[in-house]
Amino acid sequence: MAKGTTVRMWRRSLVVLGFLVFFCFAILIFRLINLQFIQGEYLQQMASNQQMADTKINAQRGTIYDRNMKPLAQSATVWTVVLEPAYINTDEKREIICQGMHEILGIDKDKLLELAKKRSCYTIIKKKVDSDVKDRIIEFKTKNKIASGIRLIEDYKRYYPCGSFAAPVIGFTGADSQGLAGIEAYYDKTLKGEPGRILTAKNAIGTEMPFDYEQMIAPKPGQSLKLCIDETIQHFMEKNLEEGVINNKVKNRAAAIAMDVKTGEILGMAVKGDFDPNEPFKIADPEEQARIDALPEEEKSKAKNEALSKQWRNKAVSDTYYPGSVFKMVTASMGLELDVINEQSTFNCNGSIKACEGGQTIRCHKRSGHGTQNLVEALCHSCNPAFITIGQKIGVEHFFNFYKAFGFHSKTNIDLPGESEDIFFNADGSMSLTDLAVASMGQNFGITPIQMITAAATIANGGNVVQPHMVKEILDHDGNIVKTIEPIVKRKAISEKTAKRVTAMLHENAVSGAAKNAYVPGYRVAGKTGTSEKIGLSTPGQKDYISSFCGFAPADDPKIAMLVFFDTPKGEYYYGNAVAAPVFAKAMQDILPYMGIEKIYTEEELKTLDFKAPDLVGKSVNDAKSAAISESLKPIVIGNGETVISQLPESSAQIPKDGTIVLYTDKESKSSTVKVPKLIGLSVFEVNKTAISANLNIKLSGTNLTDSSVISATQSIPEGTEVPPGTLITVGFIHQEKTAA
Amino acid sequence: MRAKRIRSGYSHLNENYERKNEKRDEKPKKKKLKKTKNRFLSKIKMISLKSGTDLPFLFLVLTIVVIGLIMMFSASYPNAYYLHKEDSFYFIKNQLIFAIIGIIAMFSISYIDYNIFHKWAVPISGISFFLLVVVLLMPPINGVHRWVQLGSFSFQASEITKFAIVVSFAHFINLNFNRMGTFKYGILPYIIILAPTVVLLALEPHISCTVIVVLLAAGMLFIGGVKLKWFGMVLGAIASALIYLVVFTDKLTYANNRISGWLDPFSPGAGVDTWQTRQGLYAIGSGGLWGLGLGNSRQKHLYIPEPQNDFIFSVVCEELGFIGAVVILLLFAFLIWRGMIISMKAKDKFGSLLGIGLTAQVGLQVILNIAVVTNTIPNTGISLPFFSYGGTSLLMLLAQMGIILSISRTSNMEKS
Repeated sequence: MAKGTTVRMWRRSLVVLGFLVFFCFAILIFRLINLQFIQGEYLQQMASNQQMADTKINAQRGTIYDRNMKPLAQSATVWTVVLEPAYINTDEKREIICQGMHEILGIDKDKLLELAKKRSCYTIIKKKVDSDVKDRIIEFKTKNKIASGIRLIEDYKRYYPCGSFAAPVIGFTGADSQGLAGIEAYYDKTLKGEPGRILTAKNAIGTEMPFDYEQMIAPKPGQSLKLCIDETIQHFMEKNLEEGVINNKVKNRAAAIAMDVKTGEILGMAVKGDFDPNEPFKIADPEEQARIDALPEEEKSKAKNEALSKQWRNKAVSDTYYPGSVFKMVTASMGLELDVINEQSTFNCNGSIKACEGGQTIRCHKRSGHGTQNLVEALCHSCNPAFITIGQKIGVEHFFNFYKAFGFHSKTNIDLPGESEDIFFNADGSMSLTDLAVASMGQNFGITPIQMITAAATIANGGNVVQPHMVKEILDHDGNIVKTIEPIVKRKAISEKTAKRVTAMLHENAVSGAAKNAYVPGYRVAGKTGTSEKIGLSTPGQKDYISSFCGFAPADDPKIAMLVFFDTPKGEYYYGNAVAAPVFAKAMQDILPYMGIEKIYTEEELKTLDFKAPDLVGKSVNDAKSAAISESLKPIVIGNGETVISQLPESSAQIPKDGTIVLYTDKESKSSTVKVPKLIGLSVFEVNKTAISANLNIKLSGTNLTDSSVISATQSIPEGTEVPPGTLITVGFIHQEKTAA
Repeated sequence: MRAKRIRSGYSHLNENYERKNEKRDEKPKKKKLKKTKNRFLSKIKMISLKSGTDLPFLFLVLTIVVIGLIMMFSASYPNAYYLHKEDSFYFIKNQLIFAIIGIIAMFSISYIDYNIFHKWAVPISGISFFLLVVVLLMPPINGVHRWVQLGSFSFQASEITKFAIVVSFAHFINLNFNRMGTFKYGILPYIIILAPTVVLLALEPHISCTVIVVLLAAGMLFIGGVKLKWFGMVLGAIASALIYLVVFTDKLTYANNRISGWLDPFSPGAGVDTWQTRQGLYAIGSGGLWGLGLGNSRQKHLYIPEPQNDFIFSVVCEELGFIGAVVILLLFAFLIWRGMIISMKAKDKFGSLLGIGLTAQVGLQVILNIAVVTNTIPNTGISLPFFSYGGTSLLMLLAQMGIILSISRTSNMEKS
């Protein structure tokens, strides 16, 4: 027998060797390349998904404060209940836990049991549980001696202590505390911070590995925001805006913006037709909810979504509107800046004007015409033909350049989401002469309220276009200032001189012109009313209007500008001077004293000023009478006593000049009452007369009472109420002149 | 130098048939006296390494054993910790004992003349058959009859079977080398051995071992000189049998499930457990280029069932990365290559066939195991030689390496 290997054995061995070593090993190595590199990332991901008990710890979201550090949005600690099926090793324990959680959290038990059987070590069963529920779960765990299987993880819940206060501005957050609207959305990154994580390597049965891979990444709490908004100013605005919405039956919400004219800080931004950010997904308007409930099932969700997005919408920055006559302050600025007009320029109004040679005829709101008037009068009359003439003098090119300079052709870039662009006639700035004519009076181009108030602030502050902004400071978790938002002046739109001249005219307008209803005695208000048709946006078959007022105060050194804006008022009036101006005046009446702006009265105003009632108690009837008369008060003595035992109004209480002071001389007399008469729809003189004859005191409010055309519109105590004589009744006046300003 | 010789030998095989043959005959003669002396010496001086053991092969075996033990410890300690009363050393203690015994056995066997297996060929086959029958009578573990239980000591019957096939085939091929072309001497005896083995293994059932045994037998017959037409016929027969089984019976359900799990391990159908494969793949994927570092596997923490057994290589990939895995594959490749070279240069055909068979057995197990772990083939249950936990298996392997070393002593090659 031959020893050793033969050639054939050699050859075949080499085939086997080659097959094993080269072919098979090559396949295996390619397989490894595929698994470790090509599919590596995916497999690794899958592996870490199961290995890592990655517990997210939400960061505390920053607080939103007003400028005086009053919190408007805060995050409170809540708890996430986590089921850890991997820890539940006996059926008995599973049963106890599921039953317990069913009782405490009200979750379906079968569903819990199913979850508890899955191979997982982290299943969230309930989020945002309050601490009382948390305490019950802890109690349950102690009672049943359950150390693992159910776990509580700290989380935060956003809440808004002031409810619907400034809701469309502040916005709200979603289920994962992410900002969904308003400042919450715009500053989401700043507010949210960085969530932390607990990465624990877990083995397949869910216990933490004894060889630790635990890694804790602490959450970084979000930064807080200090808004420019002043809670008090905002409150005054909301209060008066709400009242305006109700009084004027406003159909399509209302907005108001208050701005520091020099810095562009938004002191207040109110939108009515709002919602409660604590329950953003609830339709706040009960009528709207009722309407949706009445809809057929298939239309409900669409209608609900529409209603929700409407209530969330920040009208002050997201809606465009025709500014109407308010824009005339800008047109006047253009004319003065270009020196094509001056205060003495005369304009003749016979009730209508042709937009251009052979063009369309445009009517003035006063059909009979304003006659011959100078620029100041034309502005006070809000005369359309006069402003169309000014527009023609300015010309298309200059008009558009100023339009851009005032910032109407670009977003203001205010730090709020959803700001709209303007809608100009043609994007390239060209427009027909008819367009120019209507544009001069603020019609047929859309701008946002925030753009309009920025332009008003430009006039008020001497021609500087400022950057409107909501946030004043960004603060870290401990309240240290991280960043201060400095005021930015973008450009100069008009000269300081022009601005002063326009301001003077607007002041005159508020004192004696169409804006009289916006007048606040002592505070030198300047402003312009506006009533614009919602062309193409109205309800079919009827004309809808937007009533607005934009003004600022005090005229000699403007501090605050405010725009008030009512969309589709359906009350008695729709004119800006009747709807928006009184709201402006009321809000300003609250705000200006709060801001500490000095009152300066004109002589005429001083005459009607109230003063304090003298102390007449204890004096003899005659002494008291003469003292009252010497203070030019009308004394009325009730009772038969010798000395005054009581008086109304009381000592130091407000009493109008020429008011009535009632002097009681015995106890029985104190029970006498008078009936409050009707004090609405009368002139100042008539109100005074009625009050005196009824032995009542009257406080007049609302507008420049020196004007003869004012009429009373409200009274603080309703007609027919029995009150003691001498009671002070506040009567509100408005201008009755129906000028479509 | 060695590499050159093989390559030249291969490329000149046909032209220099005669000359080569002569040379090969000459060399052993020269050394014959020395070898006899060595064998004599080896019987009295066990520790001596001067006697011509193939040091590269020995070095490779020891390296692989050491790496294998380290990785076995790394892969097994979480399971040991969690499942065996927090004794992290539960598995490694056992394995280490067998490794030491195995290495001693390997050295001892390397001094024994492998030709004694001529005498053992038939008895070993007998023992193999006996055990394969006995194992079927043993109580099943995990539904299969693979383990022979002797008191607290247990081993897989198939470990003996694989060795029995190699030894008996080497013996019979050597015996009838010149008649291998015939059916009577080239095919029949082997079918007589193989067929009942396969049947008994299939009854356990132990598919992976069946595959290895069949492949080993085929390889040895191939090298032994069986005509290629027989392989063609067998392949044809196997193919038709498979088609018959798949199409007309549901006998392969057990395997079918494994196959569907293999095709898509991430979305297991009903009744298909791909957990192990999936976890193994996660581990491999997690390793990347450099791995997570020795001891840092996460998948071994009860995710991979019994990471110390068949799926140990996935832990290797996770901890040592692609680089580590390839290095280990290369060590195995060198081991196989060296083992084959030693065997082919053995002084007689029995040595060659025995060596090639034993080397191929290791090679096939490595390849099939890693193919399973990487989901290249369906999951069958093959352990990774020198790595997977299992004392008897390690002992057997080391003993077999001892036989290859014994062959190397007589092998007609340069000793380093």
